[in-house]
This record gives sequence, C-alpha cells and structure tokens, in this order.
Amino acid sequence: MPHSERHEELVALLALGAPLGADAAELERHRAEGCPVCEALLAEGREAATALGASVDPAPPPAELRVRILGALGPRRAAPPPATPWRVFAAAAALLLAAVVFDDARLRRDREELRSRSADLAGRLHNAETALAERTLRARVLESDDMQMMRLGGSGPQSGARGMVYWSPKARRGILMAGRLAPLPPDRQYELWVFQNGKPVNAGVFDADASGRAVFESAPFPEAEAQNFAVTVEPRGGMPAPTGPIVLVGAPA
Amino acid sequence: MIPSESDAALMARIEARDARALGELYDRHAPRLLGLARRILGGGGEAEEVVQETFLFAWRSAASYDAGRGAVLTWLLIATRSRAIDRLRARGAGSRPPLRPLEDAGDPPATDDVEASSADREWRAICRSAVGELPAEQRAVLELAYFEGLTQQEIAERTATPLGTVKTRARLGLMKLRERLRPYRRSGTDAP
Ligand SMILES: [Zn+2]
Repeated sequence: MPHSERHEELVALLALGAPLGADAAELERHRAEGCPVCEALLAEGREAATALGASVDPAPPPAELRVRILGALGPRRAAPPPATPWRVFAAAAALLLAAVVFDDARLRRDREELRSRSADLAGRLHNAETALAERTLRARVLESDDMQMMRLGGSGPQSGARGMVYWSPKARRGILMAGRLAPLPPDRQYELWVFQNGKPVNAGVFDADASGRAVFESAPFPEAEAQNFAVTVEPRGGMPAPTGPIVLVGAPA
Repeated sequence: MIPSESDAALMARIEARDARALGELYDRHAPRLLGLARRILGGGGEAEEVVQETFLFAWRSAASYDAGRGAVLTWLLIATRSRAIDRLRARGAGSRPPLRPLEDAGDPPATDDVEASSADREWRAICRSAVGELPAEQRAVLELAYFEGLTQQEIAERTATPLGTVKTRARLGLMKLRERLRPYRRSGTDAP
C-alpha cells in the first residue's frame, strides 16, 4: 500500500509508545514493504517524543538508591554447577545455571525484593535466582517424561543465531536456549511463537543478555501439540501475531 | 576540575564491566530518570525501582547501546519510560495517578544541586518550552500517550474526542515538537 497520511498518524502513535492495537498489522505491512518516509518519521518521532520525558523536573534520588544499584551488580557468573549432573543435558546445564534472563513473575518478584535490600545480599540473590530457575525449569520440562526437542536455525537478518527448544506436551511449556542473538533497541523484544494447528501462537517475550544469549521458559501453550517454533523481533511487550522479522525458526521433523 | 567524560565514553567503560563508570552515569542522570518515573508512577517506591532496573539494564545491555541511534540520555529515558509504563499498565486502569499538566507543577525547585550540568538544565528548558508551545489539545494527546501509556482508543474516550481526531492530533503534535527541536539536534554522542 502506498504511503499515506494514515501511516504517518500510526507512526506518530508508535513513536509516542502508544499501543496500536488493531492498526498494528496495517502499519507493519506497510513498513515491511520498505517505506523510507515512515522509517525517518519514526526515528525522528521517537527522539521528539523523548522531549516529553526530558521536560520533566529532575528529582533527587535517596542516597541509598545508588548503593542498592551498585550493590546489585554483584557476581553475575559465579556459582559452579552442583555435583548432580543433569541426566540428558550436561552442556545445557551450564547455560541454565548461568541464566539470569528468566521471565517468571514469581522469580522476578523475589529478585526485586532481594535487590531492594543491600549490597551484601548480592550473593544470596544470585543463588536464589539460580535455585528457583533450576527448580522450575527442571520440574516443568526437563524432567518430564515426554520431553521433546527441536533445533532452531538463524533466519533473515540474524542468520548466525542458533537455538534449541525443549518442550513437554504434557506440561504445555517449553524452554528456549538461544545464542548469537543481536542486541535490540530498548523498545524491541524477542517473541517466541509456537505453531499449533498450523498457526503461530504467542509463547512469551524475552531479552537476550549482553553476549547475545537467552534462556527462556515459555508461556503456557494453549494446546499440547507443537508443530514448530520461531522467534521474531517485536515491539517491547510482544504482539498477538508476528509482525517483525523471523530470526530463529525450527524445521519440523 | 577535570573535564568530564562523555556519556558515550562512560558506556564503553560500562561495557567493559567498570562499575565506577556506571556510578558516574548514575550521578549524571539518575535525577532526571527518577523525575520521569515519578511523573508516570507517582511518588511511591516503584519509581525508584524503575530507576534501579534501568541502570541494571544499562549495566547488562551496554553493548546494545548504539550511539548512531541517539544520545545515551535518550536511550535511558526510553528504557525508564517503557519500564514505568509496564508497571502502570500492570497496576490496572483503576489506580492511575491523575495526569498532572506541566504548568500545574509550579516552578521547579532550584535544581542546580540536582542536575549534573548547565547543559542538562538548558536542554530541559528547551524541551519544556517546545512541549509548552504545542496547542493544548495536541499536547494532551501526546502526554496521555507518553506519560500514561494510553492506547488511541483510551485517549479518545478520556478526551471525549473522535478516534480520527486523536490520530490527527498525535501526528500534528509530534511533527511540531520535532520541528521545534530540530535546531537543537546534535548528531554527536553526548547531549541529546
Ligand atoms: Zn510510509
């Protein structure tokens, strides 16, 4: 569809960070055709929108906030793996234990609570994260007796990306481990899709860490059977249907 | 006084895991980010948590900062805004703080001790006047979207305006803001 004022309106809303709802697909289609006007407007519009944020009065932070933040930087990659090796995935275990990117509301709450205390809790924080992540992941998927796996290859703009999905039809959940993912701007996130009945279904959004790795436990799948998996780049928070480029995709057996 | 390092230089040190550089970035920008988070979330502890998450994000994701795409402060403001809006949305529509127009905020307190540099103060004054010069109805649409995270439909309901008008106002208001700020755009890596 040729560029029109309507697209500029949608681009303005997008630049302001307003969810587009039903109009999102229309704009994504138009942008996918490659519209330099919209891309320029979006970049400049985002910058202009930031003027709203920059116009607010500064507020002096309480002194302990600085201590809290610097304290929370703590050991990010300590804690050697425990003695019990995992049955199937010796290699994956190391990755899992290092995982701090893990989208679980309960874990996040625990983490925030711990973080909000003081610097000397950093070690405990790390252990709590690790233990929780390990327990939840193992219980839900890796120790299920119907576990399946699929290798995902890089695609489109990120042909170098690699991934592996482990999932359990019974648990209706999966774990994605991915590497060599490109960094994204702060308003974008990776979104995992599970193909059920031939259609992609949102299985949650995640971020890659600074080294391009991610370990992510999916949202529950609506159906048990999964035919394929893919990862796309979407606006932060995710979209109900894929709109961005596919960066990882599986090859169903 | 030793001339201060640019934000971009700090980001490079942060990427190399220099915690002191993060501390410097914090000293420079935390007050503005906290101001923004409070504007969105109100006065509770959540605004501080958002600032904390933003700096931890900067620590973990320094490599994803791309100087070609804008200033460090812009990147931090976007990260702060999106985290604050996520929390606001999670709270649900019922408990949103009322939108406080900038004029009603009264004169800002003396911020010399709060803001890092006169360049920062100047930039804030420019942004403030650019926003203040927008026609009220366009500005309302921009502020409802940016500070309250409302969808176009919600803005239409809140302002009792047809959806098409909301879209037009968003486009015109943002274009005006862009034009007002154009003379100040600096392509460098430091000031916004
Ligand atoms: Zn266009």
